[in-house]
Amino acid sequence: MKKVILIILAIAVIVIGGIEIAITVQNSKKVSNADEKVSDVESSQNAEAYTFVDNGKEIALGQVFDKNALGIGDETSYSEVASCAFEGLDKTYTYENYEITTYPDGDKDKIYTIYFLNAEAKTQEGVAVSDSLQKMLEIYGENYEIQGNQYTYTKGKTQLQFIVENDVITSIQYSYITE
Amino acid sequence: MKKIIKIIIITILFILIFVLLNKLLSPKYMDSLIEGSMIAEYYEEEKNHDVIFIGDCEVYANFSPMVMYEETGITSYVRGTPQQLVWQSYGILKETLKYEIPKVVVFNVNSLRYSEPVKEEYNRLTLDKMKWSKEKVETIKASMTEDETFISYVFPILRYHSRFSELSAEDFKYLFTDKKHTFNGFLINKIVKPAGSLPTKKVLPDYNFAKNCYEYLDKITELCKNNNIKLVLIKAPSLYPYWYEQYNDQMVEYAEKNNIDFYNLKEVAEKIGIDYSTDTYDAGLHLNLNGATKLSKYFSRLLKENYDLKDYRKDSKINAIYQEKLRQYNVAIKD
Repeated sequence: MKKVILIILAIAVIVIGGIEIAITVQNSKKVSNADEKVSDVESSQNAEAYTFVDNGKEIALGQVFDKNALGIGDETSYSEVASCAFEGLDKTYTYENYEITTYPDGDKDKIYTIYFLNAEAKTQEGVAVSDSLQKMLEIYGENYEIQGNQYTYTKGKTQLQFIVENDVITSIQYSYITE
Repeated sequence: MKKIIKIIIITILFILIFVLLNKLLSPKYMDSLIEGSMIAEYYEEEKNHDVIFIGDCEVYANFSPMVMYEETGITSYVRGTPQQLVWQSYGILKETLKYEIPKVVVFNVNSLRYSEPVKEEYNRLTLDKMKWSKEKVETIKASMTEDETFISYVFPILRYHSRFSELSAEDFKYLFTDKKHTFNGFLINKIVKPAGSLPTKKVLPDYNFAKNCYEYLDKITELCKNNNIKLVLIKAPSLYPYWYEQYNDQMVEYAEKNNIDFYNLKEVAEKIGIDYSTDTYDAGLHLNLNGATKLSKYFSRLLKENYDLKDYRKDSKINAIYQEKLRQYNVAIKD
């Protein structure tokens, strides 16, 4: 009987070990594929990212949100939204001309989106809400993805999105690709 | 002969170990992420419900069947789960109809805004504890994100193998037992977190609900019609995420076209008496016990007046079951 138990334990160890190895291999393949994809995207876009600049202060998507380090001062209002069931809050910091939303990453909050609230906020390249579609195309070109009336330009893990109605930009948002 | 018996014993023991490991490594949803256990609580219930709710967190947090029974004698059950998407609601309804045929099905339309799964973890909260059936298989297939595999739902060890180093007392304590968290699917939350400022209402590229969402809504409508069930569409009261006017217009139009009733309860929040400074546990996304009690009283009266539902308080057998539930409920809300 001892022999039987030993055989069972050995089989269980082999099977679990096998599953673990198979999954690890599969995951490492996925990771390396994903890395290749990311590196393809990055190299095709010169590994750059869209960044927003407010009064000479650069705000990079995906970076830890620290208003003091960024030097952007205090927000005019703040809100936080919980997700159903899971811990962590999506936090929104509203400034005069734009709104920053963060996502929880471990114990840090990282910048997820920057949404323009009015025509005072401009992209680093000088486009604002109420500018024309033509201006957007002249500055950013034709290399966009379109969904409905939303034009999305991607650079590395960042996106710049314009919503256009009747050839006029009605919304601008920067966002970070988290996955 | 001895050899064959040995092989059979080894095989059986191996299967037992494998099953046990699958069970041990699967999340229990008992002390943490308890929302994942709600879907399974229904199976242990007496199936005597005239009203079944399906939908996302806006049903399990906002509608208390206990309050509804106390108010009007309507029997109901909430089969809600976090981020329950419309294809999941369809699968859950289809499964429910194998157990019982209610008179009214209430579907919260909030999830129509999502045309694809938000994240795998939400799928797991809805699907992990669902009983195996044709409906579960169909729902898994409709729900999976790109990185998920069907086989990992069959053998959770493939998904949760890394939990081996994270196993806690909860995993052993609830290896063979479960505990109840809800009262007929309603999850009590007594926290008060007043609504404050909210993120800006963003312009969206497209306000139309996606084609696949409409397809599943059509399936729900068809399923109810075929079973002679009155389908009632609702939008539960909440301040966020924003329920755009364009969303509402589409639902009004859909309801008219399909001869279904649609109630936007958000619009009557004031009439119901909902005060977002006291009646929400997360600053306006979901109602807390106070808010859910007000809403449940209002909605049970609405159902009673419009759908000819029986008052089971006059039925001694059912009433006895509900009186016991109510006794436990009243203890729970006082704790």
